[in-house]
Amino acid sequence: MTDCGCDKAKAELEEYLHRELSDEDFRDVTEHLENCADCTGEHLVGLTMTLKMQKACQEKAPDELRTAILTQLTEV
Amino acid sequence: MPTSLLERPHVESFEMDDEKLTEPEQDHAEIEAEFDAIDSEDIRRGATRSKLPPAELRALFEEQAIPFMDQLYAAAMRMTRNPADAGDLVQETYAKAYAAFAQFQQGTNLKAWLYRILTNTFINGYRKNQRSPYQNTIDDLEDWQLGAAESLTQGRSTRSAEAEAIDHLPDSDVKEALQSIPEDFRLAVYLADVEGFAYQEIADIMKTPVGTVMSRLHRGRRLLRGLLADYARERGFAAADTASPRSTT
Repeated sequence: MTDCGCDKAKAELEEYLHRELSDEDFRDVTEHLENCADCTGEHLVGLTMTLKMQKACQEKAPDELRTAILTQLTEV
Repeated sequence: MPTSLLERPHVESFEMDDEKLTEPEQDHAEIEAEFDAIDSEDIRRGATRSKLPPAELRALFEEQAIPFMDQLYAAAMRMTRNPADAGDLVQETYAKAYAAFAQFQQGTNLKAWLYRILTNTFINGYRKNQRSPYQNTIDDLEDWQLGAAESLTQGRSTRSAEAEAIDHLPDSDVKEALQSIPEDFRLAVYLADVEGFAYQEIADIMKTPVGTVMSRLHRGRRLLRGLLADYARERGFAAADTASPRSTT
């Protein structure tokens, strides 16, 4: 039996999401997720949050700011 | 006001950095303020300063550092929560980065270096003016004191409903939720989830142990999840059992 179980998977889902697990732990959690709908659902919530944040936080620096910063560089 | 590009960092006292880090936080913050433009690791390793003539150094800076402006501005927006302060913060960050650019070791992580300057400038400058009473002890507070959800969803059908509800939220809700969690948590979450920095890089940027980064991330994401569930419910999306205590009547 290689499945690491829900406790280990749930405890490590956040590090799994952030790619902070060792290769071995990453493999264990991946394997568990393939067979556990409950943990997969939990992972999906975490992943959705991350993707939403990445999308929502896109900004473009105002042109005036860009100009001011580039002007500063040439003034030294 | 943004710092002048002519202002030079105090390189000569850098050897003391390690010892001073153990001093009380008040002193620590002041010392940090003096050094925040420089990558201390590079200095300690005796990294060679760039010998490029000023015009070439400027061209290199424009080529390498300026492309991060939109990203730095986005981070500054989440830090300061308003466009005017975000603009000032980014401008000051670039001024400091340019002043210290000769010390930047080519081949190391420029993005992390710029974020370190941005974060330090924010913490030492802008945050002082809006420091909340909890700022020094935020890591010590219990979850209930922060209004965290007591229990999150149970069962897989509600989880997929929760994910779907979050997915339907408008960007403005996500930004508002992120901006309403405590600042240290927000920074950790932003750096990990939006910028994709490794935990060790976040630890370096925030000058805190990796364990603290992990704790801030975990607690920050939990708070965020509760807030997003609140917003989803207010908008009538189906994530009803994710209620956090303060919004159940």
